[in-house]
Amino acid sequence: MANSASGFGVDDDCKLKFIELKAKRSFRYIIFKIADMQVVVEKLGQPEENYDDFAANLPADECRYAVYDFDFITNDNCQKSKIFFISWSPDTAKIRSKMVYASSKDRFRRELDGIQVELQATDPSEMSMDVIKGRVY
Amino acid sequence: MYGGDEVSAIVVDLGSYSCKAGYAGEDAPKAVFPSAVGSIDQMEVDSEAKPEKESDSAQDPKSSAKPPDNDKSKAKRKLYVGTQALDYRRDHMEVISPFKDGVVVDWDMVDNIWNHAFRQRLLIDPTEHPMLLAESSINTAHQREKAAEIMFENYKVPALFLAKNAVLTSFASGRSTSLVVDSGGGSTVVAAVHDGYVLQKAVVTSPIGGELLTDCMMKSLESKGIVIKPRYSFKKKEISPGDYKIVDLDFPNTTESYRLFCTRAIAGDIKESVSRVPDSAYDEVSYANVPMTSYELPDGQTIEIGADRFKIPDILFNPSLALTIPGVEGFPDPASVRGLPQMVLESINKSDVDIRRELFSSILLAGGTSSVQQLKERLEKELMEEAPQAARVKVLASGNAIERRFRFRNLDETTRVFIRIMGPED
Repeated sequence: MANSASGFGVDDDCKLKFIELKAKRSFRYIIFKIADMQVVVEKLGQPEENYDDFAANLPADECRYAVYDFDFITNDNCQKSKIFFISWSPDTAKIRSKMVYASSKDRFRRELDGIQVELQATDPSEMSMDVIKGRVY
Repeated sequence: MYGGDEVSAIVVDLGSYSCKAGYAGEDAPKAVFPSAVGSIDQMEVDSEAKPEKESDSAQDPKSSAKPPDNDKSKAKRKLYVGTQALDYRRDHMEVISPFKDGVVVDWDMVDNIWNHAFRQRLLIDPTEHPMLLAESSINTAHQREKAAEIMFENYKVPALFLAKNAVLTSFASGRSTSLVVDSGGGSTVVAAVHDGYVLQKAVVTSPIGGELLTDCMMKSLESKGIVIKPRYSFKKKEISPGDYKIVDLDFPNTTESYRLFCTRAIAGDIKESVSRVPDSAYDEVSYANVPMTSYELPDGQTIEIGADRFKIPDILFNPSLALTIPGVEGFPDPASVRGLPQMVLESINKSDVDIRRELFSSILLAGGTSSVQQLKERLEKELMEEAPQAARVKVLASGNAIERRFRFRNLDETTRVFIRIMGPED
């Protein structure tokens, strides 16, 4: 009952890749999309890529889910990282896909255990570096 | 998954002003018609006077609910639904609405409206299509039950899902958490949505909607001596090419409510054409000299509208302004009604602390009244002043005005599974 489940499945690969990102830190980011009635991995970002590379990989007029592992240094000079979950649904995307992504999000997010911050973005300014930084502390 | 043939779901959104119906998965509703219904009391009029096809079929569901009797007693009133039926003036036809204070009070009328939508407009067989009903965020359990009862028993729909307006609006913009400001015809509802659920405690409503603004516009024009003539009350005669003469017609049997309905339609159009929310709170002095905008009434007379262009929409922000318009009646106690920004703040403050920041940054506008020019900018500005420092305020309106106005729910895939098959046997 806990989801407004749209009935879309989640490909096991999504979870496996996410665990790799979380435990082994083998990816910087993962971009997911909904295809053939389930959530699948679309792109994996290598650890040396940065935030701009990640942002450039989000299509301008289609919805996506994404997970980004953000490294930062706290005020006490401590190297830390936080895992962000971003639902990307630009204004120009088709309403139908916005509907599908929004209603499936809750369920999909629950599959990924260990997300620390969640963001919704409809244009690049809502997931800019400033916003990300504002949310880590 | 919902299996079998590709039957598309039907989406019906019965608002207090208009009823929108169409197929899930399309961008705009197929049918939009007024929620108001024309009614002729059969006690007054001879029952054989108007044997009309459309009203006959409209009576079917009703007659099945009553014991078979002779024609006269089973049709106590004849209902006329739809744009065309209402455009035609009939003697003794009253215009009535199934809504009172944003909730349905007359289910028989709703039944007729649905029937019209399915059989006259969409031309579908409701027994074949899953149904998605958009319902107001303030609907009670009893209302939901009644809606389901009619859908299953009278229309025998295979599957039904009731979804809250605010949730659908939120999903349509791709967000599962947002604050939805739905300003419609009869009321304004502010509701917080979190992870696809409406937070019932954080729903704030006010009776200020498009119809109240239309009334204010009408009264304000009347107080300036402008007479709005409904289209049925005169005839245009071309005396020489391009030159028309107005001939007044007299229909003594026209009801007051029908005259009002037609006049409101014109006043509503004036409002939609010229209104604009002022950048800051309205005051008589500084708007006394704003340039006039002209508007041509159906009978050809041109009127000039000045300060009212700004004053009327400002009622949304400052409800007590309505009291300064002569002749506005039935206005609720202004002390209990707040303006839009206050409603938004109240709703956010009633929500959980953890999500307030997110709500501030995704305020969604929905409903016809919210498409008034500059409303988004003004709301954003006023909220920035009131919001806590740390909050980023962002008000979003959907891209184009028509989309916003009909705020159509586009579900398709989602709908199919959204729909739980609830057996009609209960």
